[in-house]
Amino acid sequence: MNREEPSILVVDDEHGIREGCRKVLSEEGFKVTTAGDGIEALEICKAGNKFSVALVDLMMPRLGGLELLGRLRALDPDLLLIIITAHATIDTAVEGTKQGAYSYIPKPFTPDELMITIRNGLERQSLALETKRLREERERRLLEVASERSRCGTILKCITDGLLVINREKLVVLRNDAAARILPKASKPDIPFPMAKLEEPKFERMIDEIFEDDPGPRIVSQELDMGTSNFMVNISPVIEPNGETSGAVAVFHDVTELKQLETAKSMFVSMVAHELKSPLAATEGWLNLLLSGLVKDDPKQARHVIERSYIRVKTLRNLVAELLNITAIETGNFQLHRSSVNVAVIARQAVDAAGDKARGKAIELTLNDRSRDGTKTSLADEEALTLIFSNLIDNAIKYTPHGGTIVVQLAQNGMYASFSVKDNGIGIKAEELDKVFDEFYRIKNEDTFDIPGTGLGLSLVKRLVELHQGQIEAESTPGAGSVFTVRIPLS
Amino acid sequence: MSVLILLVDDDRDFLEMNRGILEAGGFQVDCYTDTDTAWESMEKRKPDLVITDLMMKSLNSGFSLARKIKSDPRFADLPVIIVTAVASKRGFDFNPQSQAELEVMGCEAYFDKPVSPDLLIAKVKELLS
Repeated sequence: MNREEPSILVVDDEHGIREGCRKVLSEEGFKVTTAGDGIEALEICKAGNKFSVALVDLMMPRLGGLELLGRLRALDPDLLLIIITAHATIDTAVEGTKQGAYSYIPKPFTPDELMITIRNGLERQSLALETKRLREERERRLLEVASERSRCGTILKCITDGLLVINREKLVVLRNDAAARILPKASKPDIPFPMAKLEEPKFERMIDEIFEDDPGPRIVSQELDMGTSNFMVNISPVIEPNGETSGAVAVFHDVTELKQLETAKSMFVSMVAHELKSPLAATEGWLNLLLSGLVKDDPKQARHVIERSYIRVKTLRNLVAELLNITAIETGNFQLHRSSVNVAVIARQAVDAAGDKARGKAIELTLNDRSRDGTKTSLADEEALTLIFSNLIDNAIKYTPHGGTIVVQLAQNGMYASFSVKDNGIGIKAEELDKVFDEFYRIKNEDTFDIPGTGLGLSLVKRLVELHQGQIEAESTPGAGSVFTVRIPLS
Repeated sequence: MSVLILLVDDDRDFLEMNRGILEAGGFQVDCYTDTDTAWESMEKRKPDLVITDLMMKSLNSGFSLARKIKSDPRFADLPVIIVTAVASKRGFDFNPQSQAELEVMGCEAYFDKPVSPDLLIAKVKELLS
């Protein structure tokens, strides 16, 4: 609303009063509009005209002044209402004030009387408007601050990284929920508390580094081992406008899982390196023997050396192929070469292939084929299926002690060929059963300490089974044995 | 009585080729695929030297055997050679040669697989002299 040039509405049924007022007020620089009665005045206001002041006569036809006051006030709460009347009584004055009138000018009045009243009123109005503006501004700011605070609070509460704010006196002055959760020593003391209570000397040294440095926007980062978890800790200084460092904000990002993954990966690399080096070294050794002349000019002996080298190189090739398969499956590039295969034949071959290994540990390995003829054909990848069966049987041999029993059973289960390997080996604890299919996961305890492996076998098996739209599950009783069951859809 | 060398390795190729090398060098060789049966045989007849693989049934079964030999008064004077294909954290080959490192491992010599016939024979002769 533009109140720069105050505009005035004069409502009076007497033409002389209207024009007299217009003359006086126009000379004083006001913009004047007149109305002959209340109805006309309302129409003018409802048409969107805004006024700073309304001079209202009380006694008018159609719509009386008192009622008009109320209506005008309702249309514009800021409008300055002044009553002009020839019938001045205390009662009408009180009634007018109740309707929101600021003042009362009895007729007849002099131009000066009119001007003084209007000027005083305008001054008062401008003060009231300023007060109102300030109040509204303050309320708006308060609302903003409140919502900003609650927003910050919500963010701090929800953030998964731990956050501590430390002041120059090395007091912890703020901690979010995550910090209280992941740093047990930070959860109990009331804020503020000395950071020494955290009992993390490395972290304290990082804070010292932030504070002792020349002020400047720099971040100190370090990976810290805190109890059972590893954290990537980033500390940034809080720099005041005058350039001084007033505190530090420390963010704790949990990297425990990443670290574990890193360890698992490097262990996997060493296992793989050993698996690769052994056949390579054996082949190299044989060839060296041949070159050194230790193998006499005996064709039979020479052939033996070449045969052994050939076998090891072939093993090495298979190992590399297997590693590449795993990578291919991991990256989603493994293609199944499906053909109509007899599941029972492949199961038989896998059991036969594991015969030597089983006999080496005096393990009784038997195949129990309970599937009916003609229902054993599956549209599957023969190599993958062989890999699945062999892996499960080899695992059973690995985790079954000397003299144990392994029963491989083939059966039809609805539209599936069900292949299960049951052993009476060391078994798997319930909490570890879900994890045995995870990559690199190896159960570590006294019983398994001596058993080598890459931790990839079962995860490879699971992936291959799933590529065939099959299912795999494991059941086990620690100390009594395990059963691994694979179901492959039949064609 | 000829010189007896005990060879322990779970890889039949290394057992066979190292036996070939040692027999060509004029030694008598007994082969074992695990440390337990090797130890049993040692208690029956003390060999003159032991050559063992490192990573057999467990990651450090070769170390265990070497330490067991060195801590047993009957065998403490027995030279031990460790031969392995194990990779180290430092890279492809783990090849400790300093006296301190060898002592920690409980052996007199350490070779990365495969060991060349000349080197093996030379080291065996050196340790037996």
